[in-house]
Amino acid sequence: MSSQSHPEPAAGPSRRSMLRGASAVGAVGIAAAVGVGSASGIAAAATKPAADNRTAVDNRTASVEHSADAAPLVVYLRNAASGELDIFSGTSRTVVVDPELAARLTRAAR
Amino acid sequence: MSSHREAPEISKDPVADSTDVYAFVSPDKPDTVTLIANYIPLQGPAGGPNFYSFGDDVLYEIHIDNGGNGQDNITYAFHFQTKLRDPNTFLYNVGPILTLDSANWNSRQFYNVTRIQHGKSVMIGQNLPCPPCNIGPLSTPHYADLANQAVHGIADGIKVFAGQRAEGFYVDLGSIFDLADLRPFQKLHEQYGMHVFSKNMAGVNATAELNVHSIAMQIPTNELVRPGKHGEADAASVIGVWTTASRQQVTVWDEWKGENVNSGPFRQVSRLGNPLFNEVLIPLGSKDLWNSLPPKDDKRFAPYVAHPGLAELLPLLYPGVFPKLAALVKAGTARADLEAILLTGIPSGVVKGFQNYTGPTQSDMLRLNTAIKPSKKPNALGVIGGDLAGFPNGRRVFDDVVTIELRAIAGVTVPLVDPKYTPDAAAGLITDGLTAKSVPGGYLSHFPYLGVPHSGYSTPS
Repeated sequence: MSSQSHPEPAAGPSRRSMLRGASAVGAVGIAAAVGVGSASGIAAAATKPAADNRTAVDNRTASVEHSADAAPLVVYLRNAASGELDIFSGTSRTVVVDPELAARLTRAAR
Repeated sequence: MSSHREAPEISKDPVADSTDVYAFVSPDKPDTVTLIANYIPLQGPAGGPNFYSFGDDVLYEIHIDNGGNGQDNITYAFHFQTKLRDPNTFLYNVGPILTLDSANWNSRQFYNVTRIQHGKSVMIGQNLPCPPCNIGPLSTPHYADLANQAVHGIADGIKVFAGQRAEGFYVDLGSIFDLADLRPFQKLHEQYGMHVFSKNMAGVNATAELNVHSIAMQIPTNELVRPGKHGEADAASVIGVWTTASRQQVTVWDEWKGENVNSGPFRQVSRLGNPLFNEVLIPLGSKDLWNSLPPKDDKRFAPYVAHPGLAELLPLLYPGVFPKLAALVKAGTARADLEAILLTGIPSGVVKGFQNYTGPTQSDMLRLNTAIKPSKKPNALGVIGGDLAGFPNGRRVFDDVVTIELRAIAGVTVPLVDPKYTPDAAAGLITDGLTAKSVPGGYLSHFPYLGVPHSGYSTPS
């Protein structure tokens, strides 16, 4: 049970549907920002995750079916100063270094 | 406990929490090895309306090293999927469940099994149904028969089962973590001057009448060892076994969907080889890290095995009871016996007729010499009880791993590496006061060996 839940009216635009629309706009904004970074040559800085000593299980996920297009994309700004971002999608993680994008995301989050 | 809630992070994620691993030559089918990986600890049987299930978002794996380097040569991966027949009822079932395809069963779970070997993934079992949880006499009236339907024959001559079982691991958790006041010896405990215990008591099984979720496999031995026929003395007869659970790196609560959304690569969040390794030997600040690493990296944790904290505590908590252990600790002697048992296996020539050595790579794995036949008269104390088919030669469901490891840490295995050392008399007696008979309902004599789960209706009775 959640003490935070509130009933919403069944008819008319709800707060939830309004927010859902806002969320979609936000997602487009982030996707566009990534596109700008790529176009400006910053894609060259995109790297696969650095090898670490964690157990690599990426190649064991063959039966987990994810459509990369349909899967949500999550950006984790790991270090705003250096512009280092993790981009998660499906079962992959891509490291991008893009100080300009990092700055824009930081501004957007304020 | 063996590995129930043993580390800070995983204690908050029971669905991914590896609790016990078993590996033994199947007593009723000795040309096979049975591997059991347990998850989701301390299940109260009356767990409705959302009875326990595996995590659809968790990658469960059983790893086998047959090359002696702490790295897996074979991995069996399990992916689960829950399907609701009717999302508009609050009920797990709407009538008695007599078969796995019963229309009365609403919340069902299915799984795929993938074998990863030589860099290739091959799905060897697909869309296999789990049994329901044991609810009670109206919902699951013939539970044992129903669960038997969930033992599936799949590729490579493998049998597999994934579902609820009775907890088979026994431990007096309440006493051990009350500052190691082992009930059978509590009068000897220093009690911090409080004089709480005036008499000794029998042990209390903290896991009695609880359930767990098991993934069990029975695999032809020749599928697990290197090619060829191997005798008891051959290194190639020994396999290392451990289990893991992994989650995707990112989880976001999608408030619009009302569910978690996962993204990113799977990363290991739980690991288990030898019972009690992370629980008792690894310090609190390193337990989560240990859970995230593979066995091949365990050299960094070897000092905790060589100088176990519990060996320092026992002489302090039981004054005058462990003087030889106290001297050993004071001298700073590294426990080569524990390093062999837990990190490399025991080489030939140490225990007559026995070896489960995998080489010098220090790695926490259950090491099973697959060429050693099952015992006709098993001793739950395993190798220290003269039964070479038991722990630490793999681990059987009934092995008394708590007593074995307490005694080993107390010094009873030191003579394996130092024949001049005579253990304290108490080292050979120390126990939490439980035996396999402390497990209500006992065990099965056949696959999947762990007992029928306790039903929600009758437990607690």
